Amino acid sequence: MAETFATDAKLLVDKHVEFIQNLDKKQDRLEYWMTEHLRVSGIYWGLVVLFLLRRPHALDHEQIISYVLSCQNADGGFGGHTNHDSHLLYTMSSVQILAMLNALDRVDGLRVTKYVLSLQTKSPMTTVCGDKWGEHDTRFAFIALAILSFFNTQDQLDVSGVVEYVRGAMNYDGGFGSKPGGESHAAQVYTSVAALALAGRLDIVDRDRLSSWLAERQLPCGGLNGRPQKLEDVCYAWWVGSALDILQRRHWIQASKLASFVLSAQDEKGGIADRPGDVADVYHTCFGIAGLALVRYPGLEEVDPVYCMPRSVVEQLGLDKWQSNVPESWSQ
Amino acid sequence: MRIEDSEQAEEAVSLAQQAEWQDITPIEQDEGEGSMCPIAYTDEYRELMGYLRAVMAVGEVSERALALTARVIEENPGHYTVWVYRKRLVEELESDIAKELDWVSEISSKFPKNYQLWHHRESLVTRLWAPSNAQSVSEDQRVTNPVLRRELQFLGAAIDEDSKNFHAWSYRQWLISTYALWTQELVFVDTMINQDVRNNSAWNQRYFAILANRDPSAVHFEADMAKSEIEYVVEHIKLAPNNDSPWSYVTGLLLRHAPSMLYTDLLPRIKQLAADNAYQAAMTLTPFYWSALLDIYEQQAADHPDTKKQLVEESRAICDQLASETDIIHCRYWNFRKTSLDTC
Repeated sequence: MAETFATDAKLLVDKHVEFIQNLDKKQDRLEYWMTEHLRVSGIYWGLVVLFLLRRPHALDHEQIISYVLSCQNADGGFGGHTNHDSHLLYTMSSVQILAMLNALDRVDGLRVTKYVLSLQTKSPMTTVCGDKWGEHDTRFAFIALAILSFFNTQDQLDVSGVVEYVRGAMNYDGGFGSKPGGESHAAQVYTSVAALALAGRLDIVDRDRLSSWLAERQLPCGGLNGRPQKLEDVCYAWWVGSALDILQRRHWIQASKLASFVLSAQDEKGGIADRPGDVADVYHTCFGIAGLALVRYPGLEEVDPVYCMPRSVVEQLGLDKWQSNVPESWSQ
Repeated sequence: MRIEDSEQAEEAVSLAQQAEWQDITPIEQDEGEGSMCPIAYTDEYRELMGYLRAVMAVGEVSERALALTARVIEENPGHYTVWVYRKRLVEELESDIAKELDWVSEISSKFPKNYQLWHHRESLVTRLWAPSNAQSVSEDQRVTNPVLRRELQFLGAAIDEDSKNFHAWSYRQWLISTYALWTQELVFVDTMINQDVRNNSAWNQRYFAILANRDPSAVHFEADMAKSEIEYVVEHIKLAPNNDSPWSYVTGLLLRHAPSMLYTDLLPRIKQLAADNAYQAAMTLTPFYWSALLDIYEQQAADHPDTKKQLVEESRAICDQLASETDIIHCRYWNFRKTSLDTC
């Protein structure tokens, strides 16, 4: 069913493009260096915005590629910035950036694979850690599967072990937490569902119960929250929307009301904030726009709900094969 | 993003002017010509990072290096690499772990949502009292052990500060699980739920405390246990009927561990509540009551096919009401629910 967007508000495309372009010019601001450790993710978020707004060349690709490659360490992983220790989060952002810029061949996939595999652990249970210090989380289960899929080395991971870890994080409300026992949270739901999609084990999900939990995130104002009794926040347009999209229940969210909410959180000077009236940042700009793309807001490129990258890029790389893992009964 | 108020920052003597640091030449961040991401610093942070890079480059293990990492972390705990270095220093210097925990606790209130702080805490606590040693004493003794007592106090304060802090609850689950503090946890959870019946984290923790690390698929609740939870939930629904958590908790719990009690026990209790003058209006208005009825009827119809026809009819009416009146924002979901009744 085609969505009609009944809103006077417009998506300020040019302003958002400028916002992204100006990100590395805000050098007089303290927050700029305080986010140094995740600079690579900041660039990934910025690129997603530009690609979805159909202005992919608003930033210099070669410069970005050089910078990202400079973030790779001897262990094969990537840090958040040059000379920062490797972490799965920044390895993921780096690989996503290279994929979007058609530069995956500039990196040795086996080296990256080796890094990811080094983060597998069997204690306290089979799972993947974020870094060599042992934090585990369903986010990392997803990221490991995703990174390896770029290099077609997924089968070197203990996929069934990782799947059991994710299954263990499924709660009585159908949602997923950060680890077994953890409270259901929309961002963890996305990573868990996306992990299961990549592993071909979406059968594990209680589709109805989870979809209803996700739909329940929409508040009367149209915005979405991340768990019961919490405030709406623009970024959940992505975390909730992507999970619902994979579950093929995208239409359970009222897209028009969601779009109005996201648009109302725009800063007229560019960028989107977590909610109307707050300060814009690149993270909320990315996930707000990706959330709009999911509900087919006009003028935006289609986005893949597992990878949070343009669908065209995902298809070109042959990474859309996760779709064949979706249970047949779901499409009926 | 926290923005430091430079006027509030303590006036610190520059490292370049300290005798202790005369032997070190700071390493400036090499941003390179036409760098993609030139980083800006305040002068103080710039200096700290310069000296830190220098000592890291030679792998210095010293108290002054440790003090330096503290200063950087206190400015920017998200800087992952500095934590890595500090951990190594703490180990190689054989630092007093209890003092290290003191320091972590001190800065935690400034950064309640920082992953590294909580994770660092985890590694310190296990070093202070190995879980394998804790196993040999009773829970009462474990709870009064100074290390754990301190952690429980710290967690209590953190959760007091922000009762839904995801990191705090996650760390708490690790602590309770690792040191098997299940009995006291049920008491804690009850206190938290009574403090704020809408705290979803607390309800999730209740399930966690009851399950006590058992595999959910292997757990079946005895009737007494299930009844007691139903009573508990109903008492808390009375406090705020239009509150997701207790409804979600009880239907989820029973579906997993005592499905028939959904209609033998929960159903009569909530219908009784809905008929009670004091609660009737609130119950009628809350989507969660009607939604629970749908879940209950679905289970009942599945277990007793002879009742199916009537239950489906009632369910259809409920879906209509939810979609058109009680819960319009979720009308698409309720319409789907109605359609799926037809295909049962």
